[in-house]
Amino acid sequence: MQINGVVIEDTFAEAFTMRAARIVITGKNAKWAREAALKLTGFATSVIGCKCEAGIERELAGTETPDGRPGLAVLFLTMDKESLPQRLIERLGQTVLTCPTTACFDGLTAAPDRLAVGKALRVFGDGFQGSKVVGGRRYWRVPVMEGEFLIDETFGMQKAVGGGNFLILGEDADAALGAAEAAVGAMDPIPGVVLPFPGGVVRSGSKVGSRRYKNMIATTNDAYSPTLRAITATALPEGVNSVLEIVLDGLDAPSIEAAMRAGIQAACRPGVRAISAGNYGGKLGPHHFHLRKIMGT
Amino acid sequence: MSDWVVLTLRAALEHPLEASCIAADRLAALGEREISALPIRHDRQAGVLGDFFTVRGERAARVRVVGGLDAADGIGTGMAGGELVIEGNVGRDVGLEMSGGTVDVNGNAGVNAGGARPGATRGVTGGEVIIRGSVAGDAAARMRRGMVVVTGDAGGGTGQGMIAGTVVVFGSIAAGVGRFLKRGSIVGFRDIERPATFRYACTYQPPHLQVLFHYLRRHHGLPVADAHVTGRYHRYSGDLAELGRGEILQWAGE
Repeated sequence: MQINGVVIEDTFAEAFTMRAARIVITGKNAKWAREAALKLTGFATSVIGCKCEAGIERELAGTETPDGRPGLAVLFLTMDKESLPQRLIERLGQTVLTCPTTACFDGLTAAPDRLAVGKALRVFGDGFQGSKVVGGRRYWRVPVMEGEFLIDETFGMQKAVGGGNFLILGEDADAALGAAEAAVGAMDPIPGVVLPFPGGVVRSGSKVGSRRYKNMIATTNDAYSPTLRAITATALPEGVNSVLEIVLDGLDAPSIEAAMRAGIQAACRPGVRAISAGNYGGKLGPHHFHLRKIMGT
Repeated sequence: MSDWVVLTLRAALEHPLEASCIAADRLAALGEREISALPIRHDRQAGVLGDFFTVRGERAARVRVVGGLDAADGIGTGMAGGELVIEGNVGRDVGLEMSGGTVDVNGNAGVNAGGARPGATRGVTGGEVIIRGSVAGDAAARMRRGMVVVTGDAGGGTGQGMIAGTVVVFGSIAAGVGRFLKRGSIVGFRDIERPATFRYACTYQPPHLQVLFHYLRRHHGLPVADAHVTGRYHRYSGDLAELGRGEILQWAGE
């Protein structure tokens, strides 16, 4: 299968079941909402080293937020449901609570699984906090030096999919980066999906474990590293000199598929030889995204 | 089962009608004949609801009451859920001691709207009372939880002894509002003559009011002005003769 002369390899991306929350951050203006969101989602690229993965899903107009102010939706994921509230309490407490003018709302109000995140953070108020129930939702008002910080008492949690991916095999680094940027631009508008890595792009895709170091749980994906082509079992086709990976997390498999479809289509451009995907033989993750099936539909 | 139960007053009321049987959650399980047979008192005489109202619809938690109800007292008493819409003015004690659901009055209300019984330690414990008009006297006395919104004026006993919850008055409030307030918020758009036992804290933009006002706009269609949504409010803490954890929020301008 080829798209615009780019080979779509007959392989699949292997992804995992995760737990996700959607955090809505509003601010006096979009700038301050973004400041908080960027801190919240900073150092949240991979559960391997960050214990969570997060990204900005999309901007929200005032008509979409509980307080009518501009905001951002952030998707926040962990590998298990026990760690999600703890990570949220840590990060919201240090990034959104501290950020001027912001308020923090649940973006999965229909989810039956509830995390008592705001309820935990309220104690920063040292007993001076108070709550308000509006439309059946309880909000906590935490007094701070600026005025008050407002946060939903609970946040919804749902199953999600983490680790969707595809690889862009370019003739050179510029071609791979240009294709990756185009892919990210095409995937940005897709709802329910985030790209947790810097600019949505990964240059250091990994394999499970290590050939040499027993304590390493992930090391460089030598099969796709161009500089190792001559000394390892390479997976690189002729003419490929740089590979970039797009990793995506989403609230469900259809969202991942839609984003992969848009991203791969955009990445198939001159200078790209092939599109591939990372997997572990299908034995680790329950979600398999077959590239040709996705691009054929 | 109908979408709505509609109760239409048959004739103008010449005497007070004690109509506490009219509550959305109670009518939700009843057929037309059972609704018509609900007990009601008119001028201290026992009767049934069907003597005074025509009943259309059944087994619905959304109830509309139509007619000149200025003398109909206690509508929505103890209501725990559902939606009760009153088309026109209503008498005293509307939404008395309710614990859930919404009472929406498209007119003025008599005294003790969203209030408590005489001598009771608490009144409303949940739900929402929307009065698209004025209250002839107190509102939300000894409210424990819930919300009362008055788009017109309210009396000085409004929020008296409130334990928690929120009262919003778009119009003027008579002097003395919030006396014995323990917790809870009383929000006003005009100057409020507070008891001396309230103390000024600051002037700021309370974030919860933005959530509240957008909810009132979106869910209830109330015309909350932009200036009131995004404006600043003087915060007065009180009643310091009580717990002192309550607040009066008076609009201070944009």
